[in-house]
Amino acid sequence: MAMDEAKKKELLQKLAQGVTEFDDDMVREAAEEWVASGDDTYDAIFDGLVAGMEEVGRLFSAQEYFVPEMLMAADSLYIGLDIMKPHMIQRYTGVRGTVVIGTVQGDVHDIGKNIVKMMFDVAGFNVFDLGRDVPLEEFLKKQLETNSDIVCLSAMMTTTMMGMPKVIAMIKEKNPNCKILIGGAPITDDVAVKFGADGTARDASNALEEAVKMIVALKNIQKEAMAKAGK
Amino acid sequence: MTQTMTARDRVMRALAGEKVTPVPCFSGVGNVTSAGLDKLGYRFANVHNNAKMMAESAMTTYELFGYECVVMPFDLCLEAEIMGCKMNPYADSSELLYPTIKEKSTPTTEQLRAIARDPELANKGRLPLMREALKIVRAKLGNQVAVGTYVLGPFTLGGQVSELEHLLKNAFKKPDEMLEYLDAMAEVIIRIGGHLMESGYDYISVREMGATTDVLSPRVFKKIIAPALTKVAKGLKGPRILHICGQVGPIIADMAACGYDALSIDSKTSMKAAREAVGPGVVILGNFNPFAVLNTGDAQQAYNAIAQCVREGVNGVHPGCDIWPTAKPENIQAMMRAVRETSAD
Repeated sequence: MAMDEAKKKELLQKLAQGVTEFDDDMVREAAEEWVASGDDTYDAIFDGLVAGMEEVGRLFSAQEYFVPEMLMAADSLYIGLDIMKPHMIQRYTGVRGTVVIGTVQGDVHDIGKNIVKMMFDVAGFNVFDLGRDVPLEEFLKKQLETNSDIVCLSAMMTTTMMGMPKVIAMIKEKNPNCKILIGGAPITDDVAVKFGADGTARDASNALEEAVKMIVALKNIQKEAMAKAGK
Repeated sequence: MTQTMTARDRVMRALAGEKVTPVPCFSGVGNVTSAGLDKLGYRFANVHNNAKMMAESAMTTYELFGYECVVMPFDLCLEAEIMGCKMNPYADSSELLYPTIKEKSTPTTEQLRAIARDPELANKGRLPLMREALKIVRAKLGNQVAVGTYVLGPFTLGGQVSELEHLLKNAFKKPDEMLEYLDAMAEVIIRIGGHLMESGYDYISVREMGATTDVLSPRVFKKIIAPALTKVAKGLKGPRILHICGQVGPIIADMAACGYDALSIDSKTSMKAAREAVGPGVVILGNFNPFAVLNTGDAQQAYNAIAQCVREGVNGVHPGCDIWPTAKPENIQAMMRAVRETSAD
């Protein structure tokens, strides 16, 4: 049975609040209720779960939330996503992309990378997650295999980011159109330029902000592509 | 007087809170360089498990550049190996990589307490190698230069031996369990760090970078992290440095209250703000970005960055992180020159 606007609004609010306050039960109940109504879950995901995550990002930037809070919010978001994604009518099929993502060899930190991956999952991208401590050639191999639009490289430490320029050079040589985004605590705009990447986030320790910026960067890339295709 | 002091005297006095001129230029964390490794003909991946190679490599930064310390080991896996984790030195990689933990042992709180009581602990992992390496350094350099070592802080070591994500959530969700877990971890660190100091290392850094405010809230630091760090400080003898990189402005007063002989901060934290927060009596080491200063910039930029640290009143010029091995020799020389030329009497 389709919901009225008031009910939709109530559930959207619960989904968002559930994510912001890492209330798994609130998210689960609202998501199940939405699915039971038979309505398309697209709005519930974007205006509910993602809206909640955007608020988490704002609280993170304001230093009211820190990494543990973000991780817990991500868990709540995934609970809702797992319930609702199978019921989402996919639209905007033209603006989805394929992403290869991983933490470079020598680095076993993957929390930032996982948060970024979550945003890609939510946005409906086709994500190939190579995990952490990934040998450099693996990125090239996967990019060629999937012909991904984007490759995302993560490194948490200065001592591990040095593999990045090598991956970038390898991929750009074979596939100059592939966009490469890099992120992680030691990555600055200068480093990104020096390494030959197409983008990064200014505040690299802020993983969520980074993810949001990556999405924006991706949307811009897609707009460009669509403009070129004459749409 | 100052002129006749050895590098060791200068570092030890600075750590004891005395004014030393010029300020010492040293590190409590890794500082081996490719210049040093090349001179010896060693591959970085091979020096971690060989006492002679580790000792010789560690001495090169002092020998080549007059850097005022020798610090061992170079990786962050020493304690984790003792606790049953497996290290990957990347022996087959052509890249220059720091070793990481490839298999975590995920000890429980009870298992940590058992490790801390293990009568055989001194023979576990690379502790025998660490004693041997120290002997080799002393045999060559005697007491000319201070020999430092380091351990990870309780929270950071927790992330090394078990899943960090789990710890981060528990710090928030189950604070009482986390306090117990970190208390047990502190006991392990006191045993391992205590053994290193008893075997003759001059000073020890406790590296708690996992608890920086880029990751954890100041509130969690004060409630969950600081008690374990305080326990480690009480349990270790000899000069102890608390090193936390990233932004620590909001927690520096809490760090000072943990009872270490010195605090070490990186370039993300303002030296002026840190000094204002803790007062003139606290020894602060810092606070330059080693990669930007020694690897990417030119020698003049390195000189200027170091002069700024001195001007802002550090008690020792100290990098915010391990020196990345490919540091340019001319930048390291510029760093040493800046310290000599800009320290006021």
